[in-house]
Amino acid sequence: MSHSGKTKKQFVRLTKSQRIQHIILVISTTLLIITGFMLQADRWFISIFGSASETIFWLRGIIHRIAGVSVTIVCVYHLIYVTVTKDGRSWVIDMVPKPKDVVDAVQNMMYMVGFKKERPRMDRFIYIEKLEYWSVYFGMFIVIITGSMMWSEYLWPKFYMDVAGAFHLGEATLAALAIIIGHIFSVHYNPHVYPMNRAFLDGMIDEDLMKEEHQLWYEREMKKIEDSQAGVDRNG
Amino acid sequence: MKVRATVLLIIATVIPLLLAPSVGLAEVEGSCTMCHKYPGLGRMEQTEGEQAKPIKRRFYINNDLFETTYHGKISCKSCHTGVDKIPHTDAPAVNCATDCHIINPSSNKSFSHKKIVDDFNDSSHGKKGSRIKDKSGLPVCKDCHNNKTYHASTGKETDSIHQITVCQECHQSEEFVKRFYEHIIYRTSKRRTSKEVVKLCGSCHANQELMKKADLDTVVGFTSTFHAKAIKFGNEDVANCLNCHAPYQLGFSPHRITSAREKNSPVNINNKIETCRQSDCHSEASKDFALGSRVHPSPDKIKFLITEKTSNSGEVRLIDDPAFQAKVIDWIQLFYKILILAVVGGLGSHRLLDLYGSIRQHRKGGH
Repeated sequence: MSHSGKTKKQFVRLTKSQRIQHIILVISTTLLIITGFMLQADRWFISIFGSASETIFWLRGIIHRIAGVSVTIVCVYHLIYVTVTKDGRSWVIDMVPKPKDVVDAVQNMMYMVGFKKERPRMDRFIYIEKLEYWSVYFGMFIVIITGSMMWSEYLWPKFYMDVAGAFHLGEATLAALAIIIGHIFSVHYNPHVYPMNRAFLDGMIDEDLMKEEHQLWYEREMKKIEDSQAGVDRNG
Repeated sequence: MKVRATVLLIIATVIPLLLAPSVGLAEVEGSCTMCHKYPGLGRMEQTEGEQAKPIKRRFYINNDLFETTYHGKISCKSCHTGVDKIPHTDAPAVNCATDCHIINPSSNKSFSHKKIVDDFNDSSHGKKGSRIKDKSGLPVCKDCHNNKTYHASTGKETDSIHQITVCQECHQSEEFVKRFYEHIIYRTSKRRTSKEVVKLCGSCHANQELMKKADLDTVVGFTSTFHAKAIKFGNEDVANCLNCHAPYQLGFSPHRITSAREKNSPVNINNKIETCRQSDCHSEASKDFALGSRVHPSPDKIKFLITEKTSNSGEVRLIDDPAFQAKVIDWIQLFYKILILAVVGGLGSHRLLDLYGSIRQHRKGGH
């Protein structure tokens, strides 16, 4: 509460492009999870729809395909984004896992349990964010391939369909649970960010949260500002 | 006077004689409903076989309901032959192959289901065609043609009403038109929804006890297929049991259903692809589409296929080996089970720790 009365410094966490990519991913993934898991639904659930169930089934298929295509487009766009643009390149470079992440993970957990007084000084992306980010690559690779296979079912032997189905369902279950437990909990049900981390909306992070979770990044950004300030001062 | 009396006598004798067949029949009919109109009529009967148990048999006939069925114009005794005295002790069971008194307008002969019954007997459900030793568990006509569907609603009431008015341009009797029309609709449109077909076939083929007796594989794998899932939602575009095992479109009929081992079965390994490709289904399916795998394998079926394979000296590609296929699916499922446990457990406990850390900091007054 030491900052009360004083406006907090804000830093850019997500650029506009990154936020748009994220929101498309959120909407498509939500639709995919809902329409996908409808297939695993039990009789009682289907009975809720009554006579509309056949139409809903048809819509389910259409929506699942549209959302699937959207996700594929966003993924392809993201691959281009991280290779071509400056923001994208800095993003992916900062995402590269480093040995320090392992040290951070251990120290952070020790801090959480109470064996350490301070959180480790972590960079722009902490180990758990890196894990989530690269998991999306792994997951998307699997669901896009197997999903396309099932969409073009007439090309493949039945056994390939069974394999594709098993992978698709397994990966979808894993992703859905990881998103709910790993991601939604950490950006909403987290005392540091309660009621939610607003970065996905306005792209900004305030200095309190930054110091708490990304101390190293904060120091780097501050140094940059100081340097440019100094530059301005020198020039001026 | 004498002449008039004689004429009257002749008339009085001849008229009843002329009317005798119909009047006599009506009397017999009347005497059936005399007893069978009472809803309570019935008895408990002991079944035969290993698991004998008493079953309730009802002999009550709701005449209003009966008259609206396809058989509504047929006299009781046309089917219930040998019912001549009370009590009906020696009456044989109803045989659907019996000639009935209705004249078939296409052949001018008595109508009969004999051809269908013969076909059925030669099918794998029939006494002749089945390779089961104990024939007592085989289905009979009534197991599928249960009374409810005698007057099945076509689900196209608006169409029917429109069509019926066209018929009524010539045929005055609404009752006749409705029965006749339904009689045709009954055969040209789907009588049962896919859900009902699956339920009907499953009533025997998903019954473990019955299948064990017949030395057949219990069908358990179907529910996990996409076809079954779509059917659950009421979709009629995907295949139900009959669309593959007895597709009318390809010239098969449920009455002539055969085992997949028969060369001309639609689900025989060599014919499967044509079955998959039928009409709007997987019309562009590649040749491999139907090869090497089962549409709804169950653990028992896989075991059976493995033994069949080992007894078969022919080379089987690993990828076509049902045991290998089943293993691959198991591996994938195991892989994801472990991964999900690790990820959910890891992320979950990390989140809890984080919360614990925050609470601890808060108590200390850190934040």
